[in-house]
Amino acid sequence: MRQTLRRLWFVIRHRQLDDQLAEELEFHRAMKQRDMEAGGLDTTDAAFAARRAFGSGALAHDQARDAWVPRWLQGVAQDFRLASRVLMSARLVSAVAILSLALGIGANTAIFSLVNSLLLRQLPVRDPGRLALLVEPARPGAADNFGGVPSRLRYAVWDQIVRRPQLFDGAIAWSSTAFHLGAGTDTEPIDGVWASDAFFDVLGVPPVIGRTFSAADNPILSDGGGGEPVAVISYSFWQRHFGGAADALGRSIRVDAVPFTVVGVTPPEFFGPEIGRRFDVIVPLWAEPRVHGRESWIAPTSLSSPLTVMARLKTDQTAESASAALRGVQPHIRSATVPESYPEPFRSQWLKDPLTLMSVSAASTSIRRQYGRPLLTIMAVVALVLLIACGNVANLLLARATARRHELSVRRALGASRWRLVRQLLAESALLAAVASTLGLLVASWASRVLVRQLSTDASPIFLDLSMNARVVVFTVGVAVTTVLLFGVLPAFRASGIAPSDALKTHTATTDTRAGVANGLVVAQVALSVVLVATSVLLVRTFVSLTNRQLGFDPNRLLVVNLSAQPTAIDPNQRVTIYERVRDAVAHLPGVAAASLGSNTPIVTGPMLGQPIKAVSGGTPLPPRGGLSALNLVSDGWFGTLTIPIISGRDFSERDRERMPPVAIVNQAFARRFLNGANPVGHTANLFLPGPPPPPVEIVGLVADSVYGTLRSPEPATIYLPLAQLSEVASPFLASVNLTVRASRGSPALLITSVAAAIGGVSSGLTLTFHTLNDQLDASLAQERVLAMLSGFFGGVALLLAALGLYGVTAYAVARRRMEIGIRMALGATAGIIVRTVLVRVAVLVGTGVAIGALVSLWTSRFVAALLYGLQPRDPATLVGAAAVLAAVAAIAAWLPAWRAARVDPAIALRYE
Amino acid sequence: MGRDESLELLPGTLELLILKTLAGDAQHGYGIAQRLKMLSDEVLQVGESSLYPALQRLLLKGWVKAEWGASENNRRARYYTLTAVGRKQLAVERDEFDRLILAIHKVLNTA
Repeated sequence: MRQTLRRLWFVIRHRQLDDQLAEELEFHRAMKQRDMEAGGLDTTDAAFAARRAFGSGALAHDQARDAWVPRWLQGVAQDFRLASRVLMSARLVSAVAILSLALGIGANTAIFSLVNSLLLRQLPVRDPGRLALLVEPARPGAADNFGGVPSRLRYAVWDQIVRRPQLFDGAIAWSSTAFHLGAGTDTEPIDGVWASDAFFDVLGVPPVIGRTFSAADNPILSDGGGGEPVAVISYSFWQRHFGGAADALGRSIRVDAVPFTVVGVTPPEFFGPEIGRRFDVIVPLWAEPRVHGRESWIAPTSLSSPLTVMARLKTDQTAESASAALRGVQPHIRSATVPESYPEPFRSQWLKDPLTLMSVSAASTSIRRQYGRPLLTIMAVVALVLLIACGNVANLLLARATARRHELSVRRALGASRWRLVRQLLAESALLAAVASTLGLLVASWASRVLVRQLSTDASPIFLDLSMNARVVVFTVGVAVTTVLLFGVLPAFRASGIAPSDALKTHTATTDTRAGVANGLVVAQVALSVVLVATSVLLVRTFVSLTNRQLGFDPNRLLVVNLSAQPTAIDPNQRVTIYERVRDAVAHLPGVAAASLGSNTPIVTGPMLGQPIKAVSGGTPLPPRGGLSALNLVSDGWFGTLTIPIISGRDFSERDRERMPPVAIVNQAFARRFLNGANPVGHTANLFLPGPPPPPVEIVGLVADSVYGTLRSPEPATIYLPLAQLSEVASPFLASVNLTVRASRGSPALLITSVAAAIGGVSSGLTLTFHTLNDQLDASLAQERVLAMLSGFFGGVALLLAALGLYGVTAYAVARRRMEIGIRMALGATAGIIVRTVLVRVAVLVGTGVAIGALVSLWTSRFVAALLYGLQPRDPATLVGAAAVLAAVAAIAAWLPAWRAARVDPAIALRYE
Repeated sequence: MGRDESLELLPGTLELLILKTLAGDAQHGYGIAQRLKMLSDEVLQVGESSLYPALQRLLLKGWVKAEWGASENNRRARYYTLTAVGRKQLAVERDEFDRLILAIHKVLNTA
């Protein structure tokens, strides 16, 4: 240990110690000389004799120095010093190389850190590998295969699982919700989680201050409780809301107007039970009835399925064996919890549906499903861009090595081994890569944050912990090393393979196979660029098609107001009345052309209402489970507000209320699906509804198709029911409703204040959220937009890099043939002929590259098929377009050096040796 | 240069000899070489290319320390002295060397 410190000391002060050593040796020699003089020689002879006897001072010096720092290490230090001087001497070239590498490495690191956080990381809890989620079983052959998607359970089912603690080593249930902090008009939206009693114990999350809640706080289980319900807050909420003060414990917060006592704070790295989400407050499930009142999930008649269930496997259990254990008791669970109001055939389906457990890392959580493929696509794109950049740097290094031939052969002649030269050149590559990686890391930390902000929308927000962690750094280092290997090794070996005698030659007529390698690299670059450009064209066209998609209604000047009656004391039976009064008040505001209510907005990204249809009179017979249609509960005037044309029949009116004949309106897709396109007006439909079979509804109107849900699916069959008629049955879903307002002119956002005031005038207990429909449209396309932007950007970068590479190669080829060109021009060739000759040669390269690229992109396109809309992955127009773009860019890149060479005076060209 | 081939056969011997030389008093590099030559009746002649690396190794291990001082003819010279660790090490190396020589003798003396 001390030795290492002493060595370090030597390295730091090596110059001074070197001088000391030199002085010491000089003293030794002087003493020898003095002895010789004393022995009788005269001064000059003594000097020479002493020198001879002394031997090589330099050798002694070197060997003495070797005692401190091993020879190889000195060599490496020399290499890097020389490498930095070399890089500084060709500043422009080095800068271009470093920038293109930094962009490639930075992009790769940014995407990887997203992939890592979203797809690879595990939950920040104790032993996350032993956790398993309750998921939907795979239903092969079903229209929608939700296999692997986390199931949502009713409280009754969860209760049955809790009563069987022998199944697992602990189980938890939770539901992520949006709460409002505070009461009345002064509220702030926060993210919350309803959690079962054992949540913190099973997950193994310790509190940072205070305590977490457990079964002991549950007043139903232990008689001690009964006071205020407790809550645990997140670290970031603690900082934001309480300023990190220790006296936050014991304070009371109002969640949806119900007071909770804060008892603890979770550690900063715990973001909740779901990756990509975060929470502010965790509240115990037993307190839920206090917030939801009559619509409590715990009520025996409740049909809500809000809970996600996760189990900790026992030490010897696997997910499969745990599923088997669960299925063993499934009949008991199912039969104990089958809802009374479930009609057949859903009843027997429910009893048979197998409960399945899947480990958390394998489960297809919504985050993974939504972002998995796009992220991996972008990762492939940036990897290709990095490869292209490496190709450019390799060509640059090859070119420089040729220029340094003289220097390298002199070194060989002086005795350097080939390995020594290779080491030197690799040191230059390593220095390039090191500087580029550091820059790249900086770029990445900025870029990944921006990317997450772009992808995250109000409806599906993403929260990711993007702080630098070991895995990302290791990845960056790995990428840097790989790039050095890719672009550094080949030029180093080629450059070092020169003979020492080359130093003596002034002009080597080398056959120069360097051109072969450089050409090969350029062909590869062109091929990769074709693939990238084709992919980006596909993604951009997808985005453009989606934005230009016909919606079936006019989205401009529409404001969507979400009215939530949940956290108030409004009697559920009065809700519809209040909603209608709100609507009347808003409809009469100046600047409002129309206003109407609907249970869903046209662009809905959350869970949608689906309505099973038992039968339609006069229609095709349906299987026992019926057919599925989309459902929207609307007020009268809905179609007018959205400008959806009514094709036949009538709109809903004031007369369509409770105790009046039940009516419905359907769209054309519905008519096509259930009636083979016949006019449905006058037919009746039987619907599956909970409770006793309802009377059939009469279809009184036919409207045009419109988008419902995502823009990617075709317009679904939709049935509209009047809000007023169904308020009892649909009341669990009517805790919130959407008021759609069309502004008569100008931006709908300008109406927000007046609308809010009008609503407040009717009822002060409603919570309001405002969006314009265009904003909702944009948000639903966030992912496609990001994909289009990124792939377009990187496609452009790839084109630029390939163009640079082509330029370099052509310039080199032209420079080599300078004499030949000069002779030709002296003999009478025009500039045009010269340029054409050069371009023909380049065309061969580019043509090969384009052909290879087109083939490869035919193969790779199937990986992005799932991301496309309205396009075949092998769309020929796209491929042809990409090839054409490459050819045009290549033509310009090659024409420049050819033209410049052709303009040189032949006399000058011939003179140049 | 000098005839120090015999020293090369037993690595570390030179360092032992230097330690012994310095056991008495401080000495500079030239002086060490001279004294070795004198004490061994001209047999051991250490060259600079062996002496100075050995001295540097001893410095690295911390068995000697060096200081600049004035030599006999008022030139600046670097004087080496044994450290306490060096003194202990001298005894240890001495024992090792003796054992080694004894072992070699035994081998040579069996027929």
